[in-house]
Amino acid sequence: MRKYLYVFGLSLQNVLQRRATLVMDRVGGLAAILALYYFWEAILQGKDEFLGYSRSQMLTYVLLMNVMRSFVFTGRGWELVQEIAHGRISSYLLRPLSYQGYSLSLDLAQKTIHLASALLELVVLVALFHAPVYVPARAETWTLFAVAVAASSLLFFFLEFLVSCLAFWTSESGGPLFCFELFLNFAAGSFFPIDVLPRMLQELLRATPFPYLVFFPINIYLERVSGPEAFRLLAIELGWLAAAWAGTQVIWRRGLAVYAAEGG
Amino acid sequence: MIAKFLRIWTRMAVMSFGAQLSYGIGSFGFLAGKLIRLFFFFAYIVAIFSHTKSLAGYTLAETVLFFLTYNVVDITAQVFFRGIYGARRAVQDGDLDYYLIQPCPPLIRLAASTVDFLDLVTLVPVLALLAATWTKLPGIGLAEIAGYCLLVLNGVLIALAVHIIVAALAVRTQELENTIWIYRELMFLGRFPVDIYGGALKIVLTVFLPIGVMTSFPAKALLGLLSPAEGVYALGVAAASLSFSLWFWRDALSRYTSVSS
Amino acid sequence: MAAIEVEKLSKTFRVPEKDEGLWGSVKALFHRRFRNTTAVSEVSFSIEEGELVGFLGANGAGKTTTLKMLSGLLHPTEGRASVLGHVPWRREAEFQKRFSLVMGYRSQLWWEIPAQETFRLNQEIYEIPEAEYRRNLDELVDLLDLSDCLSVPVKKLSLGQRMKAELAAAILHKPKLLLLDEPTLGLDVVMQKRLRLFILDYNKRNNATVLLTSHNMEDVVELCRRILIIDHGKLLYDGPLRQVVEKYAPLKVIRVDFREAVSAADLEPVGRVTESSELRAVVEVPRAEVSARAAKLLSKFPVSDLTIDETPIQDVVRRIFASGET
Repeated sequence: MRKYLYVFGLSLQNVLQRRATLVMDRVGGLAAILALYYFWEAILQGKDEFLGYSRSQMLTYVLLMNVMRSFVFTGRGWELVQEIAHGRISSYLLRPLSYQGYSLSLDLAQKTIHLASALLELVVLVALFHAPVYVPARAETWTLFAVAVAASSLLFFFLEFLVSCLAFWTSESGGPLFCFELFLNFAAGSFFPIDVLPRMLQELLRATPFPYLVFFPINIYLERVSGPEAFRLLAIELGWLAAAWAGTQVIWRRGLAVYAAEGG
Repeated sequence: MIAKFLRIWTRMAVMSFGAQLSYGIGSFGFLAGKLIRLFFFFAYIVAIFSHTKSLAGYTLAETVLFFLTYNVVDITAQVFFRGIYGARRAVQDGDLDYYLIQPCPPLIRLAASTVDFLDLVTLVPVLALLAATWTKLPGIGLAEIAGYCLLVLNGVLIALAVHIIVAALAVRTQELENTIWIYRELMFLGRFPVDIYGGALKIVLTVFLPIGVMTSFPAKALLGLLSPAEGVYALGVAAASLSFSLWFWRDALSRYTSVSS
Repeated sequence: MAAIEVEKLSKTFRVPEKDEGLWGSVKALFHRRFRNTTAVSEVSFSIEEGELVGFLGANGAGKTTTLKMLSGLLHPTEGRASVLGHVPWRREAEFQKRFSLVMGYRSQLWWEIPAQETFRLNQEIYEIPEAEYRRNLDELVDLLDLSDCLSVPVKKLSLGQRMKAELAAAILHKPKLLLLDEPTLGLDVVMQKRLRLFILDYNKRNNATVLLTSHNMEDVVELCRRILIIDHGKLLYDGPLRQVVEKYAPLKVIRVDFREAVSAADLEPVGRVTESSELRAVVEVPRAEVSARAAKLLSKFPVSDLTIDETPIQDVVRRIFASGET
């Protein structure tokens, strides 16, 4: 365990050192939030609610999107794809270190810094917009929200890991991952809440793990789901997490076998 | 002169196509990703309008027009100016040295060194959707169409100025390759009509970071909502930003210090 | 008319010192601190049309910087230069069409596609009429034995083949001036020889001016009658190669083989013994007395074989840099 803590510490420094990349990531996220915030303000003009979202719920959804994307949507997929493509994976396999544990430690460091930055931005944005922030009425909502976010963060990590492992089989290294990440933005509800979509499409998406990444945790926070329904959805999310983890183990082992067969 | 540049551009475009082919269809996933983004965004806008009538006074067809116009300007700039992203690499690898000693403007060489044909494919559905939207809009006169085309071109020229400034920064500092990505991210704001943005932001997007002029003004002209003064202003922004960017580029080249071997 | 005229050319690089990271870069845009380093300092020389001149100097002596100024890549800090009657850093098309710069450590060929595609591009860039292009290309293919390399992606070519294609791309437009920076870098001996013959031939046939830098002394000795030596940005020597050898190599080297063992001490009256084993020795003698001393050796010792050599030019040049003066 200590070695993973050490990797975590090193990675924290590393992320902070690569300030240019960090600033760019943050500016990028903010531009999208600004655009979507004004978009919903314009939509809500003269309305008290939209599709069951109160004004403050909808605007809080947008503001939370930035926080969620910072904590959930930071994986190690691109690094993994690079390392597979350039044959650097073998150097990890020689060490007494679980690659996934190593990767997760690195990712947690990224998540920590992005989350800190996102919370700071949240304060600034709320002050700037005089935004009507929705604050959960019930104390247990916070606990549920925290569990859901933690689970969705891990779920994203393993899903992304799974897609990145395709690089073991395809020469087309970054393409599937790029595709997957753009698709996620919509399927997870990280640009728009998915309940604006037609019922059919919604049902389809709800049958996948994707809405549990962003849409479901935010809905817990906004207390649009609560009680037994919240626990049921949380159980499904944990089920998806277990499945994604199990899938990762299988694919990883198969991928390494292919990798070894081709001589790395 | 222009004919010569066009011939050089065409030849380089063909060569860059050949080079891209040599990597196989490696970027197919990227193309698919861009199409997914386009269609989902479009789908969400349409879906949201099934629950509401207007966005800041714009109907669905009008909002879609703004969104598609953003795409036309953005994708066109991507297709033609993609190579300029490589300015820092051209400095670092020394390719810029060859561009500078040969009788052809280095900016043309840079721009033509990568022509993104895959992005050209994404332009096809955008134009098709644009044509479909057209029929949903009330009768549009020839003057509006002409204004639209002119201002789309104008927007592409402003994008060109941004790219040239970024390239000049790369030549001057031999780094700052991230600057272009900040621009790409900020362009997100261009997907919606500039009128939805609050006072200060709207001014920023019209004057300092003229994303609104690039993406919203053409659509407003087509809808007959742009005053002649605003039209002239848009042309002025393009002229001013292009002149500044070219001056900045020339200045950067005169300070160019070629990388050592 | 002189092909190249350079007067008191200087280049000082202002090396920015900046903090790291994006913020450091942004700050550096507005407020910069600099350190000055002089790469070239008050260099003057003139090269006539048709001359083939070698440009020698250690790494970082200022050779490449000078070539880059002559080709218009860099603006000098001070001084004047006229190349083919143009000020190079104005980068006029008329000037650019008449010269070429080849850098042995760099490539203008497109990596992923065949070299002939780059040739075609250069045809457009230099506006070479089709008939002339054909004629020049055929000639180059013939002289450089390029026929096998034209339609293969450049990345599949050997280093030697690539360098030949590189040279061909650079002179398709028949430049009157060739600036060559390390043209034989990394090539094997046979390929070096071939390239040298080609450069010499191009110079003769077209009365083209050639200025070349090289670490490879063979290049200089075989190609250039005149050399420029630059060190720490200053021009140390400008003149015939022969004269340098005479001035800096006042000694010649006699190698002798003996039939019987001869001790080093016995050889001292002939000259300074630099190497000796029982049956073999190397003796340095003053240039002017070389025949007298050789005769002495032959008459006094049981010599089986004897050769007289020049000091290797590498040693000569090293000696010049070491002395740091003319």
